[in-house]
Amino acid sequence: MLFYPEAISNLVDGFNRLPGIGPKTAQRLAFHVISMKEGDVMELAKALVNAKRHLHHCSVCCNITDIDPCRICNDQSRRRDMICVVQEAKDVVAMERTREFNGLYHVLQGAISPIEGIGPDQIRIAELLRRLQDPELEVEEIIMATNPNIEGEATAMYLSRLLKPVGIKITRIAAGLPVGGDLEYADEVTLSKALEGRREL
Amino acid sequence: MWLKALELRDFRNYESLQLFDLSPRVNIFVGQNAQGKTNVVESVLMLAVAKSHRTSRDAEVIRFEAETALVQGMVEREDRTLKLDLHMLAKGKKSRVNGVEKRKMSDFVGHLNVVLFAPEDLQLIKGGPQLRRRFLDVEIGQVSPQYLYNLSQYQKVLLQRNTLLKEISKKEKKEDLLAIWDEQLCVYGAKVVQKRYEFVEKLEHFARDIHSRISGGKELLSFRYVNSFDLLEGADVTERFFETLQSKRRQDILRGTTSVGPHRDDLEVRIDDREVHTYGSQGQQRTASLSMKLAEIELIRAEVGEYPVLLLDDVLSELDSERQLHLVESMGERVQTLITTTTTYGLEQFMQEQAHVYRVEHGVICREG
Ligand SMILES: Nc1ncnc2c1ncn2[C@@H]1O[C@H](COP(=O)(O)OP(=O)(O)OP(=O)(O)O)[C@@H](O)[C@H]1O
Ligand SMILES: [Mg+2]
Ligand SMILES: [Zn+2]
Repeated sequence: MLFYPEAISNLVDGFNRLPGIGPKTAQRLAFHVISMKEGDVMELAKALVNAKRHLHHCSVCCNITDIDPCRICNDQSRRRDMICVVQEAKDVVAMERTREFNGLYHVLQGAISPIEGIGPDQIRIAELLRRLQDPELEVEEIIMATNPNIEGEATAMYLSRLLKPVGIKITRIAAGLPVGGDLEYADEVTLSKALEGRREL
Repeated sequence: MWLKALELRDFRNYESLQLFDLSPRVNIFVGQNAQGKTNVVESVLMLAVAKSHRTSRDAEVIRFEAETALVQGMVEREDRTLKLDLHMLAKGKKSRVNGVEKRKMSDFVGHLNVVLFAPEDLQLIKGGPQLRRRFLDVEIGQVSPQYLYNLSQYQKVLLQRNTLLKEISKKEKKEDLLAIWDEQLCVYGAKVVQKRYEFVEKLEHFARDIHSRISGGKELLSFRYVNSFDLLEGADVTERFFETLQSKRRQDILRGTTSVGPHRDDLEVRIDDREVHTYGSQGQQRTASLSMKLAEIELIRAEVGEYPVLLLDDVLSELDSERQLHLVESMGERVQTLITTTTTYGLEQFMQEQAHVYRVEHGVICREG
């Protein structure tokens, strides 16, 4: 067993806590950081702190943003009659890459999953309902673009049951998505196909 | 297909083993306990599926004191001969087909097909329903990845639903949240159930024939898939599942678990229309377990076009001498069979005339006769 100076092991632990990074990679990253020029390290550190300080959730769509409301919500050239509901902020990025969708988004920040203790109250559903009550906003269609796994499907179903009585058209992206996968890993072609093939719930 | 030659180096208790004259029919490995009979069977299985049935740690098969283990086989298939190498290292393993290294084990697996019947498989009928469900899942899964996908989705939904049921019974969550899981449970569950029905029909077709031969034509084997919700003639499976699920909802909430669905189903096995699990003698239960498993031979042939190699570890002694003889005779006709046994009582004549017999002693094997 090797023992590092505390400064290094703190750094390794820090990396290790990030998603998708195991102890080996954490170690490699830590040693890489030490070998970097001081200026570059400072820039990286600043980028981290800045991201945390200046980013928060949009008060309208719950996406990550540096201004409030966010750029998409503010963009007057976008259609206001369609809202695309996604699980994570990174799904908005994936969706935007398709250039097929010109409406607004709503980021749920998760999906319903009892085993993880996530129910409807733990994700941003109340925010969506509040949004729909806004008389200025005339939403005609809500597109469910939650992940095509059982939790994403359950969340889409929950929302569609909730929103049916409101009388808004609800569609679900379907065709072409990799079964059992996460939306963020789908390529553009697949996603635009999926968008075309959406169905009413 | 059949295994023409087998070579082992530092595999389990074999320092070096070379068998160049295996029979395309019946091969019997005779020896006392702990001499290395199962080790041979294990090595052949590993050539087929790249992993052991006895351990998940590959390095365990490396002979004590040695660094690496090697299994080599020469497989005769209808249209070609294949040389398979599997090399176990302290960390990881390497595989070759005709000298060409296969990076992914999945590219190595499947050049040799085997069906293994080990002593624990004798429990298939005497044991609980989960053994038979696992049997169905493994057998169907081998030929249908779609089935495995539906099954795993079903199990995920089930876990979510059961978690929610417990929360509802503790009044932590509202009951109406169940709907979003019920719907998915029924969709995937119905697919699983339907596939199992189809499979049981095929299984019965083959197993009945095999059982009849082993029992000397005395017994008629049949199967019935026991569904936890009644299927009405002509009714949609998904809908029936859904209706039953709704009617059991109160009870499910009370118990915090889902009481209907393929995870509660069973496969009922009958001999001459009497349930074997309850009424069968031990010998009948064993024979029926064997027949069920041996039906896999025919299912594989239907899938890959050639018979697999049959490995029978230590099962002969569980049958009477008549059934033993019927078994080796009827299998040996069509399928290369490797059998291990401690006693050869009752098979002397068959062994002399129709089988290759190998004596196993302390990691050394000699052909007899
Ligand atoms: N990695 C290993 N290296 C050396 N010897 C091993 C190794 N693993 C197991 N053995 C030995 O192999 C022997 C068991 O062989 P095996 O399981 O094939 O016996 P068997 O002939 O099938 O006996 P039984 O009739 O009891 O089933 C044991 O003596 C065991 O110590
Ligand atoms: Mg043994
Ligand atoms: Zn916004």
